[in-house]
Amino acid sequence: MRNIRKLAAAVACLACVAAAAQQPIVLQWQTANLTESQYEPVWKATIAEFEAANPGIKVEPVLVARKDHWTKFVAAAQAKKAPCIVTVDLTTAAYNGYLMPLDKYWNAEPQEFRNAWSPAMLSASKWKGQLYGLPIWGGTYAEIYNRDLVTKAGLDPNKPPKTWAEYASWAKKLTGNDQWATAVLGGKTDTTTRVLLMWIWSNGGEAFNADMTEATFAKNPKSLEAIKFYLGLVKDGVAAPAPTTTNYLEQTNLFAQQKIATMRNAYWAIAKVNGDNPALKGKVFVAPGPANVPNAPTLTSVAASSISASCPNPEAAWKFIKFDAGKKWTVERAKVANWMPTRNDMADDPAFKADPLLAQFVTIGNNARSYPLPSPIWAEIAANDIVDAVQRALLSPEKTEEIFRDLDAKVTKKLKDV
Amino acid sequence: MRSSSWTRRRRVGYAFIAPVFLFLCAVVLFPLGHAFYTSLLRVRGLSSTFVGFANYARVLTDDAFWHSLGVSLAFTTSCVLLHMAIGLGLALLLDGLRFARTALRIAFLTPWMVAPAVGATIWLWLLEPQFGVVNYLLVAWGAVKAPLAWLGEPALAFASVVAVDTWRGVPFVMLLMLAGLQTIPREQYEAAAIDGADAWQRFRYVTLPNLRYLLVVASTLDVINTIRHYDIIGVMTAGGPAGATEVLPVLLYNTAFRGNRFGEAAAIGVLLLAIVLAFSLLHIRAARLER
Repeated sequence: MRNIRKLAAAVACLACVAAAAQQPIVLQWQTANLTESQYEPVWKATIAEFEAANPGIKVEPVLVARKDHWTKFVAAAQAKKAPCIVTVDLTTAAYNGYLMPLDKYWNAEPQEFRNAWSPAMLSASKWKGQLYGLPIWGGTYAEIYNRDLVTKAGLDPNKPPKTWAEYASWAKKLTGNDQWATAVLGGKTDTTTRVLLMWIWSNGGEAFNADMTEATFAKNPKSLEAIKFYLGLVKDGVAAPAPTTTNYLEQTNLFAQQKIATMRNAYWAIAKVNGDNPALKGKVFVAPGPANVPNAPTLTSVAASSISASCPNPEAAWKFIKFDAGKKWTVERAKVANWMPTRNDMADDPAFKADPLLAQFVTIGNNARSYPLPSPIWAEIAANDIVDAVQRALLSPEKTEEIFRDLDAKVTKKLKDV
Repeated sequence: MRSSSWTRRRRVGYAFIAPVFLFLCAVVLFPLGHAFYTSLLRVRGLSSTFVGFANYARVLTDDAFWHSLGVSLAFTTSCVLLHMAIGLGLALLLDGLRFARTALRIAFLTPWMVAPAVGATIWLWLLEPQFGVVNYLLVAWGAVKAPLAWLGEPALAFASVVAVDTWRGVPFVMLLMLAGLQTIPREQYEAAAIDGADAWQRFRYVTLPNLRYLLVVASTLDVINTIRHYDIIGVMTAGGPAGATEVLPVLLYNTAFRGNRFGEAAAIGVLLLAIVLAFSLLHIRAARLER
């Protein structure tokens, strides 16, 4: 009798082990973009195809609003329960120990695969020499214009402004009753900082010294001049009111509703405004942002997929990241969600060549700096300190220099504290 | 014999309250202890270093903390005064009604039923400068010439979050006051009327003294509730513009999740707890005195 009991217990244990072995690996996937409608069809198709090809792995998307994305990730990472696959501010996350170095997996890949990313592109995904993410998509910023509004103002869409003076002249003509040339971004996200940096670079200025140990927003006269010009667009009445609450969402809403004629944004914003107002399809054109110096760079934000430090199945996660970085999905992302490729072996892809707007963004992106900037406290500086200074300067333009001097001191202190 | 029975009954009593005590330890005392412990650490992601009270020193010498404390006090004072005044007014109105009382009571309670974050999101869109309903109506009625940046100007943003918090907080006070009004003996009003007291005198000398205890309880509870409130401001302004609405809970959130400085954020949390505790003690003392 006792033996029978033992045998039954052993069989039950084996059954449990077998059942557990048959359970698929579940990978959670969190990015700030899964809730964006233009990307939804792509990620759903990616998951479906990956799961069909890998029956033992399930991918579970974590849907979270953009502004709560980092909070949710950090809370989960602190509890060592972070989703396996994440797209986050890579340097900050790596510095805090939330991510797993990927060199082991990367180095095991064939040379052909590794050659698809340029060293410059990969450098944006490294921290202290280790690879923490695979660049999946990017976005080069350019000036996006509404062709109808430009033509209506008597301006030539084939000759967009190249200098600040020309831009100021266009801005006056594009401003009318209840309509403005552009929107200055001052809302509390790092998009405010992205656009500010581009204006600074367009004047030959720098926001930081070369090794990022000192902030030079006011210290560098060229930077300060750029800040005053850009934020001054509001005072001049050519930018939409309420800039301190204007972010990506508000800016693209204003553009889609034809309240503003031009916006500084990436290719994905075109998918957003076309979705909001289909009448705008084919009615936008892009140009490099106006600059006061030759060869002024624009900004390319790079989104890399990383594996969180607490992921129990990093091999499966790497498998999905590789799948998602494949050519097919790179093309789909570009075509459907207007996200630009980060692979350098796709420039001649017919799908890209057939899209003149994308081709133009690619050309503009040939002279771009990658974003986010490589500082472990960048997330805080970009979304808090710089935005706060921009808001203060927008509310008290006469104190702009003083405000950015204070910002220099505050940020420099933080950079030195790291 | 008697003593051993008493001891046994005491033990049984302890056994009965033990599960609740353990539950409270798990959900209140442990997190509080952990928060205090975190406030003594310099946290860098998953690693941390013991720094003693350095985080407190840092927070207390930071202008941002004192600025936020000022904003918190201004916000709490404005909100509580408005909650009390409007809540009492509505309670008097409902108490005096002889028809549609239940329907109106439910209608006035609606803001309280809505989750604060959901309510704040609704208001965020209503107050949107270009496409919001509020500006549309104000411009259409000629009340303003151009749309207002409700959440974009410091004074307007502060007034807007106070208004939305008032919308959310009034029903709680109204409900308490209404319950209090219904306990006042009608004879007192009749006696006052016989003595020739007018409506104001009846309110001043009958209603208010009878509601004094409830007013103290409601206002202290409301202070405690409002000073630690995050949702509305977090959703509507995230503390902006330029820190104009950055109350202490928002500063705490921004320090923890935007600044990734959990030690300092925990120190702010402990200081906020001290403020709330001070009000709680005040509440207990006032309630005792009033009784």
